[in-house]
Amino acid sequence: MNDTFFVSIVTFAYFSAAFVFLVSFIFEKKCIDTVAVVITVAGLVIQTLALIIRWIHSYQLGIGHAPLSNFYESLVFFSWSIIFIYMITRKRYGNTITGTLATFFSFLILAYASLSGKVDCRIQPLIPALQSNWLISHVISSFLAYACFAIAFGTSILYLVKRRTGKWNIAQLPDAAVLDEIMYKMISIGFVLLTLGIITGAAWADRAWGRYWGWDPKETWSLITWLIYGAFLHARLARGWKGIKMSLISIIGFLAVIFTYLGVNYILSGLHSYL
Amino acid sequence: MQTKLYRLFSSVRLAIFLFLALAVTSIFGTLVQQGLPLERYEKIFSPDVFVVLKFFNVFDMYHSWWFTLLLVLLSINILACTFKQTPRVMNLTFPRKREIDDSVFTSSQIRKTWHSQQDLSDLEEQTQVLLKSLAGTPVQVKKINDARYFFAERGKYSCLGMVFVHVSILFILGGGLIGTIWGFSGQMNVVEGTTSDTVLLFSGTGTEKLGFDVRCDDFTVDFYEMGMPKEYRTDVTILEGGKKVASGTIRVNHPLIYNGLKFCQATYGIAGIDNFRIVVQNSRTGKKTGLTMGLMEKAALPESTASFAITRFVPNQGGEIPAVMGVLLEPGKAHDIFWIEKNKRKEKGDFTFTLQDFDKHYYTGIQVSKDPGVPFVWTGFSLILSGFILSLFFAHTRVWLRIAAVQGGYEISLAADVSKNKKVFREKLEGLIGTLQQGGAA
Ligand code: HEM
Repeated sequence: MNDTFFVSIVTFAYFSAAFVFLVSFIFEKKCIDTVAVVITVAGLVIQTLALIIRWIHSYQLGIGHAPLSNFYESLVFFSWSIIFIYMITRKRYGNTITGTLATFFSFLILAYASLSGKVDCRIQPLIPALQSNWLISHVISSFLAYACFAIAFGTSILYLVKRRTGKWNIAQLPDAAVLDEIMYKMISIGFVLLTLGIITGAAWADRAWGRYWGWDPKETWSLITWLIYGAFLHARLARGWKGIKMSLISIIGFLAVIFTYLGVNYILSGLHSYL
Repeated sequence: MQTKLYRLFSSVRLAIFLFLALAVTSIFGTLVQQGLPLERYEKIFSPDVFVVLKFFNVFDMYHSWWFTLLLVLLSINILACTFKQTPRVMNLTFPRKREIDDSVFTSSQIRKTWHSQQDLSDLEEQTQVLLKSLAGTPVQVKKINDARYFFAERGKYSCLGMVFVHVSILFILGGGLIGTIWGFSGQMNVVEGTTSDTVLLFSGTGTEKLGFDVRCDDFTVDFYEMGMPKEYRTDVTILEGGKKVASGTIRVNHPLIYNGLKFCQATYGIAGIDNFRIVVQNSRTGKKTGLTMGLMEKAALPESTASFAITRFVPNQGGEIPAVMGVLLEPGKAHDIFWIEKNKRKEKGDFTFTLQDFDKHYYTGIQVSKDPGVPFVWTGFSLILSGFILSLFFAHTRVWLRIAAVQGGYEISLAADVSKNKKVFREKLEGLIGTLQQGGAA
């Protein structure tokens, strides 16, 4: 069976999970939260299966490669990463409202991947430059990093909402301090993963083009993103910045992530424009 | 003055400024395409704008004086900052002596005091268990009359992590600098069967002699069924003074490394075509003859006075079909010029021509680069990752405990310092003490 069929089930699952999480958030019911988690986990499992099926399918076509090599596959993996990161950090930092955000983001990404006419979901053969194990680790670490930043981004928005709506304070929202902590943790994990992503990318570039760094727009924008989050960590750790200022840097950082991922391909051009 | 400068250069404020300054200025280089010839920019921008952009070297901004200055400032910043932190980190990692002064029991962020009426030996045993589960094997540090002091520590190397991370950046930037000064990169195009020892530099500053010859033995392109390229490969032999010293295959993502130089597959092209295989049939006699000829070579046609030559080759006549332009020369007649497409019969006069095949000679475009900074950069990369692992997966935990005799039993004081996850530590501590006290009461 075709993997895109499973992906459409998963899209629906994440949408439902986002809805159930929201209901659970509004009515503060633990048992509804459990239902949402079950739907999310089911979605994650099916999505993992879909990735494996696509992988096997590519071998059957005689062009076997990990399903991480074109735009469609990167979108699917991005949404997988967000749920994956949410689930493994849920015990400590996860809560109902971050669950709503994570599933909703993933739903949006998958919906875009399947519904936008621009995204080609066929399995394509790998051109020689993409035939590299470094590339696989590069894509995995970068998208796990993007997923952390996406969750941090959502949390920063919640933080601003929490702080700005003093009069009609949304009681169900977690404490500002808790949101602040989630944002910080997600960004520090994301920073390490992004560093790993940049390093594996450099290793790939070194083997493919004979240089580890060439200031092409995609590379430069990943560095810009890295610098913004680096500034975040230092401001936080050494200068004690918290709260609104940090939320703003986190939002700017995520805009840089989006630009690195999409803007560079759609707006600027460079060596990476096949992604 | 000196201390003021030192304070500035070791400040995190400067670090944040530099991070953001580098981030913002880097954007320009992604908006203006880098490294084109100056004339191109002159056409794009108005003269005034051009002068300003040229002054700031926006056309090659990542190598401009001011961008380099920012990187140098960052390096100084890291050096000064590391220097400033060193005493504290060294003291944490390699403390001189394990003296306990009583102030930890009143000043630590995490502290706890309780009483017990048990025997001292029981209490000491419990202390061992408690500290062990909190921070590893405890050591008894001091014994003063009725007071006992214990200390346990775990993950003391984790605070080296941040130092590793910071120093790694110096390696990476240093490696980059070394590469810019002593490295080069360029391209050499080598036709199959020929050799070359010259690299055309990308920087536009001429050529570089390798000091040995690179011979392209063979170049092949494989395609997928759908027509996309699957693999480019060049088989090369390296010759020194005409003698073969090495050979290998260069594929995309699989460079050949020789003598500190990296050879990567970059491009290819067709350098020439020859050995056209043409079958000529004389329609009067029915005799078929196979000819193998090059461009501009004349061949006599069998059983006739005519001769034939190929004057041109096109790879894609009317779409995808390769074709040659043939000339039929017959004494006393005007030249007859016509196209012969591959695998299609072409009748002309008394003859029918078929182009069966031909040989393509490729040239391979090999990117050659030398970068003596790479080992430093890799060292930096490993250092930054080990730094992250140290500081992410290990936390520095120190626990002090004092058992002091007071009226009616013992007073037990505990103090702790943890570098992260204070909340988790506190919960664990409460739980452990809870069970201890229950056990004691029972
Ligand atoms: C590109 C360069 C740099 C990188 C990648 C870097 C990276 C980091 C990271 C990842 C942390 C830990 C943050 C956390 O745990 O949340 C950190 C902490 C810190 N950094 Fe940097 N840093 C850099 C440059 C600097 C500079 C130039 C300074 C100089 C002032 C500096 C001062 C500090 C300080 C004081 C801390 C806190 C250390 C602690 O409390 O343990 N960093 N750095």
